[in-house]
Formats: sequence, C-alpha cells, structure tokens
Amino acid sequence: MRFTKLLFIIFIFSFGTRLSAQTWVVPDDQKAITAPFKFTPEMQKQGEQIYLKNCQSCHGLPGKDNWVKLTPPPGDLAKEKAQIQTDGELFYRITAGKVPMPEFRNIIAEDDRWWLIAYIRSFNPKYIQPNPVAKAAFAGRTVTLAMEYSDPMKKIVVTATEQLKDGKTGPAASVEIMLFVKRYFGKMQVGDIKTTNTSGKAFFEFPADLPGNQEGYVDVSATVNDPKNAMKTTPAQANFAIGVPTLKPGLTETRAWWSTRGKAPVWILLTYTLSVIIVWGFILYIVYSILKIRKLSNG
Amino acid sequence: MTMDDNKLTFDKITSDLTHHIRINKGFLIWMGFLTISLLICLYAYSLQLSKGLGVAGIRDYVTWGMYLANFVFFVAASLIGMLISAVLGLIGMKWLTPITRIAETIAVAFAAVAGLVIVSDMGRPERLAYVFLYGRPQSPILWDVTVITTYFVLSLLLLFLPLIADMAIIHRKVSTLPSWLKPVYKVLSLNFTDHPEQNKIINRAIRILLILLIPAALSIHTVTSWLFAVTSRAGWDSTIFGPYFVSGAFVAGSAAVIIAMFFFRKNYKLQDYLTDMHFNNMGKVLATVSLVYLYFNINEFLVPGYKLKRADAVHLHELFVGKDAILFWIVQIGGLILPILFMLFRRFRKPLPIMLISIAVLMAAWVKRYLIVVPTQEHPFLPIQHVPQNFVHYSPTLIETLISIAPFILVLIIITLISKFFPVIPLHETAREKGIEHIKFD
Repeated sequence: MRFTKLLFIIFIFSFGTRLSAQTWVVPDDQKAITAPFKFTPEMQKQGEQIYLKNCQSCHGLPGKDNWVKLTPPPGDLAKEKAQIQTDGELFYRITAGKVPMPEFRNIIAEDDRWWLIAYIRSFNPKYIQPNPVAKAAFAGRTVTLAMEYSDPMKKIVVTATEQLKDGKTGPAASVEIMLFVKRYFGKMQVGDIKTTNTSGKAFFEFPADLPGNQEGYVDVSATVNDPKNAMKTTPAQANFAIGVPTLKPGLTETRAWWSTRGKAPVWILLTYTLSVIIVWGFILYIVYSILKIRKLSNG
Repeated sequence: MTMDDNKLTFDKITSDLTHHIRINKGFLIWMGFLTISLLICLYAYSLQLSKGLGVAGIRDYVTWGMYLANFVFFVAASLIGMLISAVLGLIGMKWLTPITRIAETIAVAFAAVAGLVIVSDMGRPERLAYVFLYGRPQSPILWDVTVITTYFVLSLLLLFLPLIADMAIIHRKVSTLPSWLKPVYKVLSLNFTDHPEQNKIINRAIRILLILLIPAALSIHTVTSWLFAVTSRAGWDSTIFGPYFVSGAFVAGSAAVIIAMFFFRKNYKLQDYLTDMHFNNMGKVLATVSLVYLYFNINEFLVPGYKLKRADAVHLHELFVGKDAILFWIVQIGGLILPILFMLFRRFRKPLPIMLISIAVLMAAWVKRYLIVVPTQEHPFLPIQHVPQNFVHYSPTLIETLISIAPFILVLIIITLISKFFPVIPLHETAREKGIEHIKFD
C-alpha cells in the first residue's frame, strides 16, 4: 500500500517537473529568427544599460550567479542554460514573457531587445553570430494618425493617412481607432472603437462632464486598434480645452493624514506638540523639585 | 504609643523590610544563571545582526511575528503600574501600600524592555533614531515611541520618589549593606531628613505623577493597538481595539503582580506585610479586569462573526475551528473563562492557588498577543503569487525563539536587581501607616 503510494507520488512528481520544464516552448519559426544586424561592441554597451535597468533585478549580473531566488528560478544568463538557446529563442522570451517574467514587447523597443541579446552573448566566448538577415520590407499598412477638435461639430476628428504603394500618402479607410483621455493613473478610453470612413476620418464625441486642468485642458491620445500587429502605426496626441475647468490639487499636495512629514495636518502637529510639551514640562518640574529636596536637608 | 514602642516597631519594620538587602550566594547563583541565559540569547541576536532577519521565520506575508507579539505583551504588562498606583491609589485604597512598589517595579522593567523588544524586529537597528529624526507626526509609530518613552520616565520617577526616604533609612540603619554600596544610597537619598518641606515636595510630585500616569498609560496601550487597528485587515480592523488592549493589559499586569508578590513574600519572608488579605484582594482585582476583558472579547469576536464579511470569515474560521483553533480555545478557556470561575471562590484567592492561576493567565496573555498579531497576516487581501510555502505559513525559528526569550530574562534581571537592593515594600510609608509620625535621623 505504502509502496504504491510512493510510486504514485514519484509519478506525479516526475510528471510535474517534466511539465514545468516543458511549458515555455518557443515556436519553431520564432527560434529561427536572427538579428537584423551584426552585433557591435557599441550595441553590447547599450545593451548593458538596458540590462541593468530591466533585467538585473531578477537575473542578477551575468556570470556572477546572483539571481533572485524565485520559483521558477530566473537563472544566470551567462550560463549554459541560456546560452545554448538560439538568438530567436532569447528574443522571443524577452518579447513575450511568461509569468513571473514580464512581457517586454511594449517596454523595450525591438532594436533594443537585440542589443540586449548582444550584451548577453558577450559573456559567451564560443558564440558566433549567425549571418544577420535584414528584415524584409514591411508588407502591411503603414498608418499615421492626426487629431483635431472641430468646434462646429463638437467632436474630436481623428484622421488616418497611409503610405500608398506608389510612395504617395492617402487617406486610410477601415482603420479601427481608439481614443483615450489621461487621468490620475493611466488612461481612460473615450467611447467605443470607431472605424475610419473612406476619407480616413473617425469622429468621437467627447463627454461634456470630464474634468480638465485649471483651464479645462485634457490630454487626449488616439491609437490604432491592431492586436495582431499587422500594421505599422504612429499614434496621435493632443490637448484640447474641452474638459470642465477644475482646480483639484494632487492627493499629496495638501496637508493630510497620508501626506509627508512636512504636510501633516495642523491639528495633529498642535495636539502632538502640545501634549509632549505639557507632559514633559511636568516631568522637568518634578526633576527640578527633586533637586530642591537636597537643599532642604538642614532645615 | 510611647516613644519606646515606637522605636521598637520602627526597628522591627526596618529589619523586616530590609534584611534581604545584601549580596548572598542565592542571589549570585540566580544572577549568574540569568546572565548566562542572556548571553546565549544575545549570541542568537548577533547571528540575526550579521545574517539579517532571514534567520527568523518572518517572511513577506508575516512580517510581524513573535517579536511583535512580545512587544504588545511587554507594553501590556507594564500598564499595571498605572492601575495599581494611579487608579486604585487615587481612589484611596489603603491596603495597596505594600503592593505599589511591586507594581511600579514591574511597570519600569516591562516598559524599559518593551522599547528594546521593538529593536529585535529591526533589520537595521542602528537606524532607530530615524524614528525621531524623520518620523511623521501622522504616524502611530511616532506616537508609540513618544508615549512609551514618556511612560517609562514617569514610572521610573514614581518608583524613585518614595524610595528617597527609604534609602535615607537604609544607608543609616542597614548593617548588612556592603560598604561600597553605602555612598550610592547616600547620594540617591538626596539628604532626606524627613523634613516637612521635603515630604511636601515628594507628596506633591507623586500626586502629579499619578495623575499624569493615567492618560500616559492609556495612550501607550491604545496607540499600540492602533498600530494594528488603523489598517483595514481582518482581525485588526476594529473600533474597540484600544479598550480591548487596555483591558487585556490589566489582566496580564495583575497576574504578573500576583506572581511577583508570591515569590517576594516567600523569598524575602514578608508574610506579615503581604498577607492573605492582599492576595484575596488582588484576586478580586484580577477577576474584575478579566471579566471586563471577557466582555471585550465577546464584542471583538461576536460582532464580526455575526456579519461574516469575507475576509473576517476566513480569519475567524482559522481561529475558531481552523489551524489556530487549539491555541485559541486553550487561551480563551484556560486563560480567561476558567480562571474567572475559579477566582469567584475565596479558597482559590489564597496565595498559592491564585499564584498558579496567575501563571496560567500570564502565559495565555502572551499566546493571545501571538494570536492577535500573526494569523491576520497569513491572509493578505492581495496574496503574492508564486511564493515559497514558508511565506504563507509562519513558523518561528530557534534563533527567533531565543531572541524572543531574551526580553523576559532582561525583565527578570531588572526586577531582581530592584527588589534585591531596595525594599520591596515601601518602608517609610509603611512606618507612617503604623503610626510612626516622625523618624529620627541622627
């Protein structure tokens, strides 16, 4: 009975470890990808800066084996486990991430991610870079957004233009546009996704009750909804005086419980200081009268 | 009372209350034992200093482990000085006279060590002064260090003032006193000659201290409770945490005083001064404060238990029937309900039984602090992902346990030293109460 239990545990355990070791699989087409340029010492230097900012906190310094003890272990990137992988594998892992490793797709630019690999490879004397394959000309649409506020319509007009095959630019139709307005933390989407018409325009109604700054300005940004990354897009940013003028000091700009030492509420400062002064005043008085006892001895 | 009777009585009182003030073998053995134990614990602390707080069982979930349970316990036990001397004393309970110094000694010892206990939980203890230098007046932590310091100084003064007259008597009358100690007593007695003006000053100072002591003591434990209650976590998010802590403190403190009374009476042969009546009355005090504490316990558990908000439900489940249930019910039944029932009967308020009850109550008081501090932290609102198992369940390490024992040894050392070199029972005051109006100082 006990033996079967043990077998069962061993089975589960080995299955579990195999499973966890195999879970982060890089697709074959991604493995084959190589850097679009030849690595240079310059790039390694740039890559080091990016590494120190984004990677060191978990992976430690390459070759020093001082990575943070997490599950699964991040490991030292100068070691074999990382170095036997292809450049494409490394690039994919940095780009896509997998919990607890963050996804750097939108944090580190594409070229910078290759620089990072240049830096990591600099710790491997045996590494020979495969011939760089320059990226094929981008086949998808290249869309640039512009934005203005139309007073007569009371609407935000986003105009999308695209690069045409003949080298000219023209209106980009059927592009999905998202509009955001900046708030305390992050951005808030305004309205639904709109699709541009044949003249490349999308119209957004802006809510009349959103707070702006003191003059009513709000920061608005428009981006293309392109979850599959099929296009090359340039977002648009602008600020318009279309919000409700609001004078709201930041949460830490006034005196408050949660604020810094210098911004403690006056009543707390008074209560605290007065209590300390009164009680310690009495204590000093008592110490003083104790000293008086000495002088009274011969009376 | 004639002059001769007077002299005889006074001499007898003096000898009864001061005969233990001498350095004997028993004292040296006891102190040697305490010192060696303390050194072992300090070695454990040196390991923590050099290797970091990781040698203790505290992790990212439970960051306040046994050290903080200790802290709350020590602050709690120190509150008894205020209850005995200030509250009951100001009401005018005369039977308390022989107990006041014991209560004050306990208050001073526990308050002094409470500050050190907090240091044991610090990874960078050399930065302690930063609390004062950079503390925010909005933070209960700054209030806490302020009131603890204040309360300690108040208690120390209250211990010292009635001692002035006693030391004047000791350095003149006690022959067993080692010669090198005599000048110390002489200096500390401040040339006291029982001059009416001197007595007037001392009495007025004591009165001021007693009045100040009440708000100071209430603040120290209320603020300590706020360190927990100002967070919104299940088990701490309570509006009655202040009085809940204060009433619990009186329970722990009264028990500590009874235990101390028992050992002083036996070791220093004070049966004529600490009588069955004193134990009986202290038993009544302990029963009363225990009932008040029971009342707060019912409030503290019944109300959230009735509403069962999600986080409270998890917390209460662990306490009532879950992982902490055994400890919880031992503490509540063995440390609170049973002692109350026993103490209702006079026979259990005799010295030995009430001392045994007090030991149970005091041990339960420590475990209760542990149950207040630790289980709440095992259920964070936003659990961290992918953490090792020892983050989720707190278990104290040996080093941590040794470091947690050190404060108890320190308290015993302080209490031993104070009780060994000063009369446990106020000498001058007792003489006064026996009708000796003026003491001759030649």
